[in-house]
Amino acid sequence: MATKEEVLQYIRTLAEQKVVTRDELTEAYDSGSGIKQDVVLTKKLGIAEILYYIGGAIVFLGISILLWQNWSTLGFGTKVLATLGAGIAAYFVGLLFSRDERTETAGSAFYLISVLVTPIGLWVVFDNAGFDASSYGSQSLISGIMLGTYLLSLFVFRKNVFTLFSILFGTWLFFSLTSWMVGGAPYFNDWKFYMYRVLVAGVAYMLMGYAFSKNERVPLSGFLYGFGILGFLGAALALGGWKPNQNVFWELIYPGLVFGALFLSVYVKSKAFLTWGTLFLMAYILKITSEYFSTGLGWPLALVIAGLAMIGVGYMSLSIKKKYLITQ
Amino acid sequence: MEFIKKNITLIVGISIPILMILFVAASIYLPGLFVQPKYNFVYVSGDDYYYYNQYQYSVQNGKLVKSEIQKPENQNYQPPREVKLYVHDVAKNESREVSFAEAQNLNLDSSNISPDGFEVTYGSRGDGFFPFFFWSDRDYNTRYLKGHNVSKKLNLQLSGSYYNNFRFIGWIK
Repeated sequence: MATKEEVLQYIRTLAEQKVVTRDELTEAYDSGSGIKQDVVLTKKLGIAEILYYIGGAIVFLGISILLWQNWSTLGFGTKVLATLGAGIAAYFVGLLFSRDERTETAGSAFYLISVLVTPIGLWVVFDNAGFDASSYGSQSLISGIMLGTYLLSLFVFRKNVFTLFSILFGTWLFFSLTSWMVGGAPYFNDWKFYMYRVLVAGVAYMLMGYAFSKNERVPLSGFLYGFGILGFLGAALALGGWKPNQNVFWELIYPGLVFGALFLSVYVKSKAFLTWGTLFLMAYILKITSEYFSTGLGWPLALVIAGLAMIGVGYMSLSIKKKYLITQ
Repeated sequence: MEFIKKNITLIVGISIPILMILFVAASIYLPGLFVQPKYNFVYVSGDDYYYYNQYQYSVQNGKLVKSEIQKPENQNYQPPREVKLYVHDVAKNESREVSFAEAQNLNLDSSNISPDGFEVTYGSRGDGFFPFFFWSDRDYNTRYLKGHNVSKKLNLQLSGSYYNNFRFIGWIK
């Protein structure tokens, strides 16, 4: 029997020779350690799976249209049964289906129905109780109830799909709660406040993605990295503003953030960091060129410089991808 | 301790939005504890531009005056609304209806900004739904007392929710 050091050294040698990939090693580790991977988020989407999800979305549309067309004629009981009842039923059908690996993906389509329909059911209940159901206060309550439900489900069933739903409802709660707290306070500029929240949500997503990349929730890290870096770099670019109302701090710090994202793409082995970092660097070059150099140098010359800079950025991005990320 | 060490990135990731919620709460509620507006003010409710009222209130030489408005003949105006005068107590954040005679005895300053640096402004309102929380508009039903990086929502006695249901008259000196 080889020692632990010998095994690790052998893996290093195999990795250098590109004989094994990280995914193969993780799979081997998971099957040995008894960690049961979720089929739902790890399996590549085939036609059948896509049809499951489309079916789930169509069921949601059907329930929404039924409610919208017959809002005044349907009684409270019928509305609750069609929405909250359907959502809860779909949740339990999802649970039943996910017990068997063969029907697990179909089960996730029922989870999707539950996730989409249950908030409408809660909205109907709040509306009937006399609350302004679309207000931030009610939205905070609805998202809080949904977050609590899915956190409890995650705690009991340990499924990645519940982690995903908890993150989504947690994000909704974060936005609606902060909006409810601020209300109409005149010192909060709505657009900037929204951007700062997107920035914070982006950082949180990236950190969660990094944390999940080291455990059995690794299928979620791609999604979290993608949306996290998109929100972070998008919000930081928007906070820079536009001349004459630009924010010099965000405009000056932005190249550092973008290059930080490009550097991190190598460290965390994420194509999302590289892709969004490259695209936002290009957007920044265009923005700065048109903002500051279109009048001094002349618009055509500024465009030539911006174009050359973008070719350079594209080349750098491809080099990083080939050198560091191609094995992923 | 071992759990925290093992999941430090996840804990930091979840803590950042929670810290922002706490920061927003603190920035809204804390300054109000230290900065208190002192000057009460007089306002009119129901003094709408679109409705023909018999009187128009204004401040002249620090006193409230009531000017009669002559209604042009042969024109169809909406029936006049009931115009009411109120004094708003900023410490209690409540309004009390007063008669014209009572309000006439008060010394008023009709500047927009009070001697201690506060003004009455509209609130903003977001009607967004996740993830579209950035849309906002003026909320004509809500007014705020704003100054020194503090804003306090005012509980005013406003009739209806139409555009000009509130008109500021003056600060009580």
